[in-house]
Amino acid sequence: MSIEAVNTRTRGLRGQSESGISGLGVLGRLDWVLAAALAAVALYGLYAINGITANDPGGSSLSRQALYVCVGGVGFLVALFIDPARYARLHRQIYLVTLGLLALVLVIGAASHGATRWINIGFFQFQPSEFGELLFVLSIAGVLSDRSRPVTSATATLRTIGYALVAIVLVFVQPDFGTALVYVAALAGALLVAGTRWLHLGLLLVVTVLGAVMILWLLPAAGLSVLKPYQTARLTGFTHPSNDPSGATYNLRQSIITVGAGGLRGRGVLGATQTALDYLPSHSTDFAFASLAEEHGFFGASILLLLYLLVVWRALKIVTVARDLYSAIVAGAIAFFFLFEVFINTAMTMGIAPITGIPLPFVSVGGSAIITDFIAMGVLQAIYIRRPVRRRR
Amino acid sequence: MAERGSGRFLPGDPRVSEPYRLTPQLAFRVAILAFLTLSVFAVLFLRLWALQVLSGDTYLAQAKDNRVRTLDIEAPRGEILDRDGHVLVTNVAGTRVELWPADLPKKWPAERSELRALSDITGVTVKDMLASLEKSREDPLTPIVVERGIKQNQVFYLMEHEAQFPGVHLADSWLRKYPYQSLAAQVLGYVGAISPQEYKTLKKKGYLPTDQIGQSGVESAYDSYLRGHDGKAQLTVNSLGQPKGRESLESQPTPGDALKLTIDINLQRAAEKAITYGIHLAHASEEGSHADGGSIVAMNPNTGAILAMASNPTYEPSIFSGTHNAKKLQQLFNDPSAPLLNRAIGGTYPPGSTFKPVTALAAMMEPGPNGGHLLTPGEPLLCSPSFKAYGQTFNNWTNLIDQYMTLEQAIAESCDTFFYQVGERFYQLPPDRGHPLQAWANRFGLGEPTGLDIGGSVDGLMPTPEWRCKAFGGKPPYSGATCDTIDRTWKPGYSIQLAIGQGDLLVTPLQMTRFYAMIANGGKLVTPYVANDVEELGPNGSSAKVLRTFGAQSPQASGVDPGALQVVQAGLNDATHATYGTGYGVFGHFPIDIAGKTGSAEKVVSVPGYPNGLKLTQSWWCGYGPYEDPSIVVCAMIQNGGEGGSAAAPAALKVFEQYFKKNPTLVTQQASD
Repeated sequence: MSIEAVNTRTRGLRGQSESGISGLGVLGRLDWVLAAALAAVALYGLYAINGITANDPGGSSLSRQALYVCVGGVGFLVALFIDPARYARLHRQIYLVTLGLLALVLVIGAASHGATRWINIGFFQFQPSEFGELLFVLSIAGVLSDRSRPVTSATATLRTIGYALVAIVLVFVQPDFGTALVYVAALAGALLVAGTRWLHLGLLLVVTVLGAVMILWLLPAAGLSVLKPYQTARLTGFTHPSNDPSGATYNLRQSIITVGAGGLRGRGVLGATQTALDYLPSHSTDFAFASLAEEHGFFGASILLLLYLLVVWRALKIVTVARDLYSAIVAGAIAFFFLFEVFINTAMTMGIAPITGIPLPFVSVGGSAIITDFIAMGVLQAIYIRRPVRRRR
Repeated sequence: MAERGSGRFLPGDPRVSEPYRLTPQLAFRVAILAFLTLSVFAVLFLRLWALQVLSGDTYLAQAKDNRVRTLDIEAPRGEILDRDGHVLVTNVAGTRVELWPADLPKKWPAERSELRALSDITGVTVKDMLASLEKSREDPLTPIVVERGIKQNQVFYLMEHEAQFPGVHLADSWLRKYPYQSLAAQVLGYVGAISPQEYKTLKKKGYLPTDQIGQSGVESAYDSYLRGHDGKAQLTVNSLGQPKGRESLESQPTPGDALKLTIDINLQRAAEKAITYGIHLAHASEEGSHADGGSIVAMNPNTGAILAMASNPTYEPSIFSGTHNAKKLQQLFNDPSAPLLNRAIGGTYPPGSTFKPVTALAAMMEPGPNGGHLLTPGEPLLCSPSFKAYGQTFNNWTNLIDQYMTLEQAIAESCDTFFYQVGERFYQLPPDRGHPLQAWANRFGLGEPTGLDIGGSVDGLMPTPEWRCKAFGGKPPYSGATCDTIDRTWKPGYSIQLAIGQGDLLVTPLQMTRFYAMIANGGKLVTPYVANDVEELGPNGSSAKVLRTFGAQSPQASGVDPGALQVVQAGLNDATHATYGTGYGVFGHFPIDIAGKTGSAEKVVSVPGYPNGLKLTQSWWCGYGPYEDPSIVVCAMIQNGGEGGSAAAPAALKVFEQYFKKNPTLVTQQASD
């Protein structure tokens, strides 16, 4: 199993060979702290979403969400048994599949609320850009760990950016600005761990900031709008929330009220009027954190944040024990995009980050996101399981 | 596992780097990530603490306020009355259908079926509703008005099936009603939903996105008086947006104030009929077969009060109130004959011979090159069938006259060749004198804003060398000309044509009315107005209290010499009373002394079937009466109506008949210019 699969290109990459590990071995080498944290987040998320959706017209989303969690759990387990080296070898194919899926949404996606993000497959609305996050990480890490090109060279950086931009633009034009930002975050994490020079990272940061300024202010001023007006209003609204209380920043204002009203102990499921009476739109998806904070208060929200911190912390640890560069990059990118999702989503509900449609990991109702999060965690564990065993030193 | 150690024994491959291990560099970077993670979570915890613990009570109070919806109680719009208190525009009660976006079904199929059902009832397409919803997607607590005037049976249906229409709210509304149908339509204007742009500029003044606002004419200009103040009510709603309990009144609506106009409804009706009559006469005449519209303005020459302002073709403003028929509205807006256009102030035409008094006054006022004036009142000039100058021939409108005459007679007979010579004199003035003919015309209000209190006016066009340079400079045949050396781009023919009101000159009927008022009142320029005052109506519509009077503004002196004016007045009186006058056939037998001037102005008009346009004659008549003490000035213009004497003058006579309450008098056919 280990020899025949190695082609000439990867022969020299000694670390990336696959190692056969039996089922029990997998369990024995699992990161139990991370696994426990994940289980806790998932269960807590289910508990929270049951309360958040209790008063929705369609009833609680618990059963649906639980199904997603189960499917995600299966995905997690499957991911444990796949050697990351396999992703490394197949990273070109993964890249093409990613682009194919993203392009497919644009072509046949069902239109919904002005955005085309879903492919309807009967019982399930499949959101390729969410799955794409992980596939994107797996393929970009492959590009970056190609040792025939030193990662510190400008060409390697530009090449990676080039690959990444195609996918990012495809997500951006759906339009799914928030998810496109997650891709950018994943790319940033990957570059950082891969060892891209600080100079390049700095330049990229400057270019990104300039690009944002262009898109948000300069181009609209010149009469060319890249974003739809509501997108711009959402992105810049958090800088002046009281500017137009009933207008463009309605969601934002309601979200802040919702969080604040929760107080120290929360208002409970029945008392949470912001959520129950539906003043907070999208409270089971994008604004789930605000509803959770309203129902369970500072204590309840803090538990969730601490669990997230634990997950990110373990993920960073896995970066340091990875067997090879590819695995390290994947772990770093997953850790970084997870951190980014948590931050942007919770910060937006509290009015300190722009409003973008990024779901709260393991909590927001939505199958694609939950399943992707679980598989990503499975990949992290798979990397951890295959860490080199330090013999006596 | 087998190949773990193999690298040690193989020769070094340049492409293969060192075995992977945690480098200090990577450790450093992971440390940075860890630091970033801690900072991010620190920020999140601090913000969460600030919102929930430090300001928790404030937000809790705001959350409790959320259950209350504020409803708008529409105030009835003020009525519009004519000068004698006849109601021109009033209101009828209606029911408006609103959509509250926050309370619509959250699931798309349910929302779609509800909107479809609503569409079946109201006739408003689902597409239109979705477009409105999309516009307010960030503001789900402000309702969208779907329809303002649904029928009573539709109201009952929606009320009975309230449970099937979450988010649909019925509210009382007021619809504009026009007892006299299309009468004075362009003056009154219409009311329509506030546009997003208007809302942006007006929201500081308390306008709401659901408001109606005057879109043109009096409705627009006096919107702030007419609109009143909406009342407010509060409604507590449950989680589905359904009302819990009754609405509680916060403030009563204040009805808008009534606006009294200077328009005389009977004269207005007579003027509108007169245009139709003029068009009818034109169709029977030699040059007027393309007549397709017109305008008549009647004004008090001393105050500027507009007594009638008619424009044809017209429309029914009621098309804008109540149940909207989008297709019909689109047709109205796209109608090539432009019924919405108030031709009295927004239509521009060459004035033709009605301009000759301008030339006459300017020539008598303007110093000549060798002392004296450019033209002295008694000075005889030859009125020949044609006038030759600068290698060009300029014809009189008739070739039957060939005699010397004074200015007075030249006005009465409308002799073109007489005025060509005056125009040439203007052309021959040294360049440092500027353009005195145009300057005088400007002082008489032509090519200038009239100061009318309602919108929609245009200034027309007073051609000067500077204008020619701007409009045609750099293009052939003036490619070499700059605006400094422009003087010679102005050809003698332009001055000669301008003297009889032809060429590029364009004026509005109201500008001409104002000019003839100036002749009638002894040289003062009045400011025309249609709104007399704002009144608060008593209980039964009886006039209660005048809140604010707009009235006349004091006229400005035009600086014209009374002696010169008398010559023109006499010429205008001769035009209608001397047997050789061009208006004698129409006004000669009218019991009241009317003075006035015909005009037949050529203009290239686009006509279907003629790709290069067709040169058609605009029929004009402007004048006033009674001659000794004028109380009314009338300007009639029949678009493409042919000779002034055959269409516009008889139309104007109808207005005088109504004004002076005289029976129709005999009109005889007579050639005019």
